[in-house]
Amino acid sequence: MRIPAFMRLTIRNIIVNIDIGTLIFMLGLPTLYLFVMGFMFQGIVTTGVPLSSGSTVSYTTFLAPGIIALESFTAGNIGGGMLWSDRRWGMFERIMVGPFRRIDYLLGIITVSIIFALVGSLIMLGFALLIPISVVVTPESILLSIFAIVVGTMLFSSLFLIISGLSKSMQAYNTITIVLFFMLDFASTAFYPITKNTPLWLRTLSGSNPLSFIANILRDSLISSISSSTFFYAGILLIVMLVLLGISLRIYKSIRSGI
Amino acid sequence: MEDAIFVDDLVKSYDGRKIAVDHLTFNVKKGEIYGLLGRNGAGKSTTIKILTTLIKYDSGIANVLGLDVSRNGSEIRRRIGVVQQEEAFDFTTVDNNFKLYGMMWEVPREEANSRKEMLMELFELNELKKKRMYDLSGGQKKRVQVAREFMHDMDIFFLDEPTVGLDPIMRRNILDYIKTQTKKGMTVLFTTQNLEEADYICDRIGIVNNGKKVAEGTSSNLKTKYGALRTLKIGYSSDRKIEQKDILKNVDDEDIIEIDIGESEISVVSGKIENVVSQVLQNLSAIGVKSDKIMIDNPTLDDVFMKVIEK
Repeated sequence: MRIPAFMRLTIRNIIVNIDIGTLIFMLGLPTLYLFVMGFMFQGIVTTGVPLSSGSTVSYTTFLAPGIIALESFTAGNIGGGMLWSDRRWGMFERIMVGPFRRIDYLLGIITVSIIFALVGSLIMLGFALLIPISVVVTPESILLSIFAIVVGTMLFSSLFLIISGLSKSMQAYNTITIVLFFMLDFASTAFYPITKNTPLWLRTLSGSNPLSFIANILRDSLISSISSSTFFYAGILLIVMLVLLGISLRIYKSIRSGI
Repeated sequence: MEDAIFVDDLVKSYDGRKIAVDHLTFNVKKGEIYGLLGRNGAGKSTTIKILTTLIKYDSGIANVLGLDVSRNGSEIRRRIGVVQQEEAFDFTTVDNNFKLYGMMWEVPREEANSRKEMLMELFELNELKKKRMYDLSGGQKKRVQVAREFMHDMDIFFLDEPTVGLDPIMRRNILDYIKTQTKKGMTVLFTTQNLEEADYICDRIGIVNNGKKVAEGTSSNLKTKYGALRTLKIGYSSDRKIEQKDILKNVDDEDIIEIDIGESEISVVSGKIENVVSQVLQNLSAIGVKSDKIMIDNPTLDDVFMKVIEK
């Protein structure tokens, strides 16, 4: 049986990326956030955290969907960053003169990101259930959660593909990704809810952060209730993903693999 | 014999200004090892990048395996192997790099395993197989880069300065292995700065300068045509003090570039050594000096290269 070219590249991407650094980045840090940050803040936020549905949940329950959302961001970062790494270490050029098309390479990156995100999300959900948190399991909640994770991962893959395509040096690439990591992670609803006491600028920043959309969809699907706002977030997420994917494709096409 | 590579009047410029390949024409026959020699920036790597479908050319013809490189990229890429000038490796172990190559090029698992074992042995990589690529020295990385290409079958092997950083023994091993593969029908396009190794491995050589081909032929043809300066060395034993005028009697001054009279050896450098040899030997005999060794140094490819490039 012939394995399609993009799947061969996906397998290659998985093998190359499974190392201790990636595991810490994908699973170790979110686990720490979930358990350490979760229980520390729970000690402070004793009144619980309000959800959009009006109900209140414990901080750890609120945090769990945010941590699952982080998996999309991290997997997108790893996937999109592969273009940078392959360009830096010559493999992009080598693959381009191998039995592959350009589109196979891109599909290989996006597919590995989605696989990493789904596996990471499942593991994080498993950890969250140990806390324990109670999760709503309906076909709609499962489908919406998968939608959020897949589309969110494609969005972040595209974002990091753009950065990989435009970065001229390793220093520039690392600086941009670190700044983005902190900005998108912490100025989002992954860790904290937006309340009327949140400063307007931070409310705007957090409200327009794609990570917030993923966290909100997962929160609505898994621990609260699906409403029209959930579909609104899903629609926005899809549109932003398509725009970023379009930009990343344009930049990707213009990357000269040679000189 | 059929051409594996056919390049005619090929032009490539960057940003419409810097001409990297300037009306280049050459062909490589099936099973032949063709060396592209030239200084840095002469257009060798650009030519390889065009032929391996990595970059587009402006005009001319570039055919690989009878296929136009601008239209049949996928088909060509399936049938070639490439060792780039720059490092290219996956951030994993040496062993995994080989396995990944086998998988990516769809080599059946059992065959991939046996090829990997054979190549590891041949390229002396067994001790390094558990090491991560970034822990290897430059020469070791290059060894992996060349060896792993043989994980898959190929009709043409493009090598862009593949032996940089390799020790002489490994360099010779690699060149010999490439030679054996050409006997099975593989064609090789090879660029190098090391003229000695071009001399050793290439069936034919093309010298390029500023994107243009300035000379082409077999190594010996090129040496005959361009390697004009040759050295006559005569070993002797005599108590008599030999002077330059004794040796060069009746020899045209213009034929002599340099002469050195040592205690046991005389060396004469000439652009027309065939005119000089017999007269010098006659002159020595005339003054009673017997020669015990006569040797004429052949020109090297370095001589040819210098002369062609200077021209």
